[in-house]
This record gives sequence, structure tokens and C-alpha cells, in this order.
Amino acid sequence: MSLETTLWSMQAAAALTLAVLYGVVWSIDRRNLANLTLCVVAVAMAVAARDEVGMMHAATTAEYGEWARLIYLPVFFALIGLVLFVQLFLGTGRLWLLWTIVGARVAVIVGNFLSYPTFAWREIVALRHVPFLGGQVALAGSTVVRSWNWLSLASCALIIVFVADAVLRAWRRGGAEGRRKALVVAVGVGLPLIFTIAYAEAVLLGALPLPLLVTPAFLITILVMAVELSRGFLLTRQTRQELEELRSELARAGRVTALGQLASALAHELSQPLSAILRNAEAAEIHLGNPAPDLDELREIVADIRKDDQRAGDVIEQMRSLIKRRTLQMYPLALNEVVEDVISLVHSDALARHVALDYVMTPGLPLVSGDRVHLSQVLLNLIINGMDATQASPAYNKRVVIEAHPREEGRVEVAVTDSGPGLPAGVIDKVFDPFYTTKSGGLGMGLPISRTIIEAHGGRLWAERAPGGCGLTFRFTLAQAQGAVS
Amino acid sequence: MSAAGVVYVVDDDPSFRRAVTRMLTAAGLSVQSYSSGTELLAHLSGDAAAEESGCVLADLCMPGLDGLQLQQACTEAGMALPFVFLTGHGDVPSAVSAMRHGAVDFLDKCAPQQALLTSLERALERDANARAARVKRGQLEQRFAALTLREREVLEHVVHGRMNKQIAAALGIHERTVKLHRNAITTKLGVRSVAELTTLTREIGLFAEPRQSCP
Repeated sequence: MSLETTLWSMQAAAALTLAVLYGVVWSIDRRNLANLTLCVVAVAMAVAARDEVGMMHAATTAEYGEWARLIYLPVFFALIGLVLFVQLFLGTGRLWLLWTIVGARVAVIVGNFLSYPTFAWREIVALRHVPFLGGQVALAGSTVVRSWNWLSLASCALIIVFVADAVLRAWRRGGAEGRRKALVVAVGVGLPLIFTIAYAEAVLLGALPLPLLVTPAFLITILVMAVELSRGFLLTRQTRQELEELRSELARAGRVTALGQLASALAHELSQPLSAILRNAEAAEIHLGNPAPDLDELREIVADIRKDDQRAGDVIEQMRSLIKRRTLQMYPLALNEVVEDVISLVHSDALARHVALDYVMTPGLPLVSGDRVHLSQVLLNLIINGMDATQASPAYNKRVVIEAHPREEGRVEVAVTDSGPGLPAGVIDKVFDPFYTTKSGGLGMGLPISRTIIEAHGGRLWAERAPGGCGLTFRFTLAQAQGAVS
Repeated sequence: MSAAGVVYVVDDDPSFRRAVTRMLTAAGLSVQSYSSGTELLAHLSGDAAAEESGCVLADLCMPGLDGLQLQQACTEAGMALPFVFLTGHGDVPSAVSAMRHGAVDFLDKCAPQQALLTSLERALERDANARAARVKRGQLEQRFAALTLREREVLEHVVHGRMNKQIAAALGIHERTVKLHRNAITTKLGVRSVAELTTLTREIGLFAEPRQSCP
């Protein structure tokens, strides 16, 4: 196999690979038409490579003319594709120029296939063979050029003007990223385009005794386009990562807010063991003041102090784990334990506000897959909301009920129901809108954050009128963990 | 500690209850502890408790009866013990409400030992005084109960500063009869002068409304 056949096959293969890749990318995200233009240009280049090899290996003028005629089709798609790519990529081209170019190139391609052998040549008089890449290739030795070939020349000139104009305007518009893109188009698209057009026209007009070649320079253009568009993917990925970080930051902010609401309750939770420690220490002091202190009593006191210290430490540890910033860490969880932990946090608050907290535990509840801290935050938020909702209710009817039940399809459903006044049907779904709040001191972020967290767990969080009451029920679902029953 | 009487500790937190009981006992107080207001009420309604003086040291935040509700229940049941409240986080409205219902003090759970002991001492003292006053008043009431209806009428006029002649005219009886009644009154009540008589009747709250004779 000759060297040019090998090289051109490789070009075609490279172009087709890119075409398939970006075709798939476009089919996933159809709004990004730049990917489609790259796909079209790459396919055109693969076809053009085949036509070029056909011309180089042509034995007769008729065969040569046939290939020369066919190559107009990929060139048409490549030129239009490039012009559209520049417009989509920079957005600064003049549209009337673009449509003029499209019109001129349509006229050229139609003219090409209506005439024989090609748009540029009325007749190929003879073939010559010249040395090329260490072998002999055919090229049109002498041709008769048609007078209407000026249209093709003019359309090519317009393309160069269009690209140059778009680059200049993008450059003038400024901005580091805008200027970089302008430079990329100028070097990656503009220069190869000028070179290819000048070269091809020189060959067509018989001024250059070399084969008619468009693919090598255009291959550079395709590669530059591909690199640029893949930068887009990388940016998308980066954006998504930033979004992920933002969400975790937001969730943390939500937890800190929830803790702010809880601050007084937690202070109470801490003051209990601390004051017990203080009283025990005072008792010990009194005993030590005796000439014969009761050592057994002192031992008991010290043991109690140690126990209360552990208790205070546990409260702080729980609080710290809620404040810590972290991403989702999914483990199999016993929901009962999570709910009990959260209830122990809000216990004092509920007491001070005379709200009864009921947890209806279902025995044999399957383990769920989730992040303990994030789920605690959601429960904390729902329970505090529920207690807030009952604020205006009479003392005998201040109640928040938490239930967990296994549901079909390996899910577990948790419901938090309050005995508050509820909300009108039309407003219920609004509670998940950011900044929607019915509380005077509320930020309106608790429920949207909770919903984000549950959705990140692959579950759903929604609100509905409480069954058999006028309050609200918030329900969320979680996926059951693979494995045993808790 | 000099004050006698029982400190009733009411707190739902077993650990704090044990610690505070231990400390107060070591400080020489007699302490009984209860895990809820209901438990204390059950004990207080027994006969034995009515004789002892005491005060209540209660947590403000408790499940079931909270501190304020317990105080109210005690008052309603006629067992007006002085209360000292403990709280993890003192909030003003509950403090105001507690004081209005006769709480002696409102302390942080971590208040200094001396502050707590002083409060309790004051509460016990107040209860002892109240009990003494109640006893004295009971004795007085018994003495006043011995008066006949006529003697009470005469007493009212005497306390309001009327002369025997005026009293006799007002009641339509003889002046000498008035004198006999007055002798009976002073003997029954065990007083010697009109001034003493006036003080006693004021103490027991008899004939209180016409106060125009006061300087």
C-alpha cells in the first residue's frame, strides 16, 4: 500500500472517530449545536480524504473528473460547518454575511452537480503524474477553467472575511476568555482556512502543479475544535463539582441555622450535667471539710461526676458532628437510632414549649441507606418546624408525631405530623420554595435544603394535609439498605 | 444551717437530683427528693406532711407538671409552700410569673452554692414564720369564736371608738348592759385595753371596712 493511502486512511479514521464521539455527545445534549457542527465537519473530512485518494490514483481524466466532482460535496459541508462553528463558538459573526456564504456555496454545489466535470473546470485535457511522498500521483495536467468560477472564489473570500470579522469583533469585545477564544479561532480555523482556500484555488486555476488537497489543513482545524469543545466538558464537570460543594456548604449552613434555633435547648441539655457536677463537687468539699470524711460517699460522688462529664461530652460531640462540613457518606443506618438521637437533642426544647413528641417505632424496620448527619438535619428541621407550627395551639393539643414504616419496593417512609393549624391546599407545595416562610424569624431555607438532601439520597420529600387532622404531615422516603433487618 | 424544715427537691433528671440532694444533706439540711410534681403532691396531701415546715426546690422545666404548674397546684390544694425555682436557662416571663405566685427565688442551676443555701434558708424561714402566724391566728380565731352575737355587735362599736352611751342608744339596750358585755369581751379575749382590742381585731381582719377613724 502506498504511503499516501496509508496517511489518508489514518486521517479519515481520526476524523471519523471524532465524528462519532461528538455525534454521541450532541445526541446527549442537543442544545449544544457546536458539537453537531464538529461532527459534520469531521464526517466531511473523512469523505474528502477518500475523494482525494481517488483523485491521486485516477488512471483517466474521466475518473479524475468524477472524484474532483464528488469532493465538492464534503467541501460544501466542511465550509458551512466551519462557518456555523465560528458563529456558535464566538457569537460575533455577521448573520447576513453568513447567509450570503450559505447561499453562494449552495449555488456552487448545485452548479457543480449540474455541470460536467466540475464547477471550476469545463474540461480536463490531460493528466500528469508527479512525485509525491515518494510515489507517483495523478493530477490535472491542463484544464479549461469556467468563467463562473469567480462565484466559488468570491464565496471563499467571504468566508475568510466572515471569520476575520468575527475574530476581530470578539477580540474588541474583550475579556480574557473572549480574547482567548478569538485567538483560537484565528489560529485554529482562520489560518488553515486561508491556507487551504489559497492552495485549492491555486491548484484549480492550474497555477500550482500539486494534487488537490484540503484534508491535511482541515484536520488541524478539527483537532483544535475538538480540544476547545472538550474544554467545555471539563468546565461543566468543574461547575458540577462546585455545585456539589455549594450544596454541602448550604446544607451545613442549614444545620447551623437549625442549631441556632436549638441553642437554648442545647444550653439546657448541657447545663443539666454541668450543674450536677457542680453540686457533687460542692458536696465533696463539705465532706472533705469533716475530720473523718465518708470515703464511700466520696467515691460515689467521683463516679457520678465522671458519668455526668461523659454525658456533657456526648451532647457536645453530637452538636459537633452536626456542624461539621462534609459530603454525603452513605452507610446502612438504623432509622430508630437516628430518630432517637434527634429527639434527645430537641427533648428539652419540646419540654419548655409544652409540645409532646411521640415516636411510633415499627419493630423490625429494615436498615436504610443514608448519611446519618444529613438525615438528622432533615429530621431536626421537620421536628422543629412541627413544634413551631403548634405554637398557637392549646396546650393539650401540642403534638408532633414521628412515624417510620416499611413501604413497597424496598423503601422506608418517615412521616412527621404536627397538630398545628395546617395550610390551605394551594399553599402546601410552596413551603419547599426557597425563602418561603410562615415564621417571623424564619429564613425559608430549611425545607428546600431538606428536600435537596433527601433527593440526594434518591428519595422524595413532600407535604400533605395530616390524615384525620388539620395539621401538616411531611413525608420522605429512603431506599432500604441491602442486607439485614435492624 | 440553722433553719429547720424539709427541702422538697423536685427534678426529673436523676443525676442532678442525686447531686443536689447529696450537697444539701451534707450542708445539714433535711432533704426529700421527688422525680415529679405529681409525686410531691401525693406526699404532701398525706397527713404527716402537713405538720412539717418546708420549702420546695423545683426545676422549672419538667415533663408532666412543670415547676410553675406545681406551684399553682400546691396553692390550690391549700399547701402554700415557698418555692425556689431552678432553671437551665432563665427566661424573664417565667421568672415574673413565678415571683408573682410567691416564689422566694429564681436561680440558675449552676448558681453559687452560697446563693442556693441562702435562698433555701430564707424560704424555710418564711414557711416557719407563716406557720407560726397561722398557729397564732388559729388561737385568736378560737377566742373570737367564744363571743356571743351581742358581744360581737358591742365589740364592733367599741373598735370604732364609740362611747358606752352611744352604743347603748344604737343597740337599744341599757348603758349598764353595755358595760357587762364589755367586761365579758375583755375576759374572753384576754386583753386589758381598748388599744390591744383594736390591734387584735385588725390582726384577725374583723370589721375592717370603715377605716375613717384612723389618723
